[in-house]
Amino acid sequence: MDFKDYYSALGIERTASDDEVRKAYRKLARKYHPDVSKEPDAEQRMRDINEAKDVLGDKEKRAAYDALADRVARGGHPEGGFQPPPGWDEGFEFHRGPRQGPADHADFSEFFSSLFGEAERRGAARQNFRARGEDHHAAIEITLEDALNGAEREITLRAQTVDAQGQPHWENRTLSVKIPPGVHPGQFIRLAGQGMPGHGGEAPGDLYLEVRIAPHKLYRVEERDLYMTLPVTPAEAALGAQVQVPTPTGGVVEVTVPRNARNGLKLRLKGRGLAGKTPGDLYLMVDIALPPADSDDARKAYEQLAQATASFNPRQHLGV
Amino acid sequence: MVNFTLTTATAISASQPLAAAELAHAVGADTAWVVQLVEVGILRIEPAETQPERWQFSSTDLQCALEARRLERDFGVGLDAAALILDLQHEVRRLKAVLHAHRLG
Repeated sequence: MDFKDYYSALGIERTASDDEVRKAYRKLARKYHPDVSKEPDAEQRMRDINEAKDVLGDKEKRAAYDALADRVARGGHPEGGFQPPPGWDEGFEFHRGPRQGPADHADFSEFFSSLFGEAERRGAARQNFRARGEDHHAAIEITLEDALNGAEREITLRAQTVDAQGQPHWENRTLSVKIPPGVHPGQFIRLAGQGMPGHGGEAPGDLYLEVRIAPHKLYRVEERDLYMTLPVTPAEAALGAQVQVPTPTGGVVEVTVPRNARNGLKLRLKGRGLAGKTPGDLYLMVDIALPPADSDDARKAYEQLAQATASFNPRQHLGV
Repeated sequence: MVNFTLTTATAISASQPLAAAELAHAVGADTAWVVQLVEVGILRIEPAETQPERWQFSSTDLQCALEARRLERDFGVGLDAAALILDLQHEVRRLKAVLHAHRLG
């Protein structure tokens, strides 16, 4: 485990005021927001700056972190990476922010959790706090086939536990999850009782998994609808045709391409998308594939087509 | 040490929706905050259903509530502004999907 420099994560000096911490965080949070950022590592950067803001934006945590940083600077890094020295946080007490619980920190680094995870738990216990455990959020990526048919998948979560000496440590928790058929991207799967432990003997929270569907070689998924490019020849597009199309469930259906089909025409196969109360549709996007003019016969055929359609000007709207 | 647990999952859907209290717990808030999201239009309920205890929420509602909560916490925005930001965000995502469908994005 490496010692994390939260000040450099936010691009600020150690003397930065609370206002400067807030401004630096907001500027970076906008830069790395997944809807606007084009940076390939935006998601990881968001996690880093969220973690840095959580510590530096909290007076108690920041004071404890600064004291630890001084101690590390004096003593250097021990062999095998950083480990918080025993009793590093004596004299400091950590509180959760408003509307903030350990579940908010689930994505944070091992460094963060080794410093603050156990302290937050102790803080809650000292306050004689009784409440159901926080719900925990994570994402799960499954194949389109798994979404259609349901599947059993193993996921591994990192959870912090306390050993007999009272020292926090990490434990991998593997869950075998039965994914029901018909789930779609953005849908949440709820695993009852698999969230954070309860406080004061209360029940644990739930784990919510957000479904993501891995890219598929044929189909693109949008909510419950599926999209597939359907290549057709110019003759099939012009004259109309019956063509065979694979369906996501493994079958083949015959589809009518209408006469004079244009590029990009959308054909709908109702109810052939993802299952649900209202099943999704399968959309076929017509894509006219030009045969190459790489033989005498093919060149002759194109010449005959050009003669037969001599009055057709695809650039008429350009005024030429 | 590795713990192994077999667990059955429930997909949040029209047939298995979240109650207001469950939605609130899932985002670390209370039911009063969910009521505020309904009032500003971030969450939509059946117009005839006035009792929060009877409200039902979908996966999309949970996603909206999580995003509203992040906006409120990370940027200190009010819920009216969060509602506008979420509308714009959803429009951007829809337009990106259209561009992607036409291989332009």
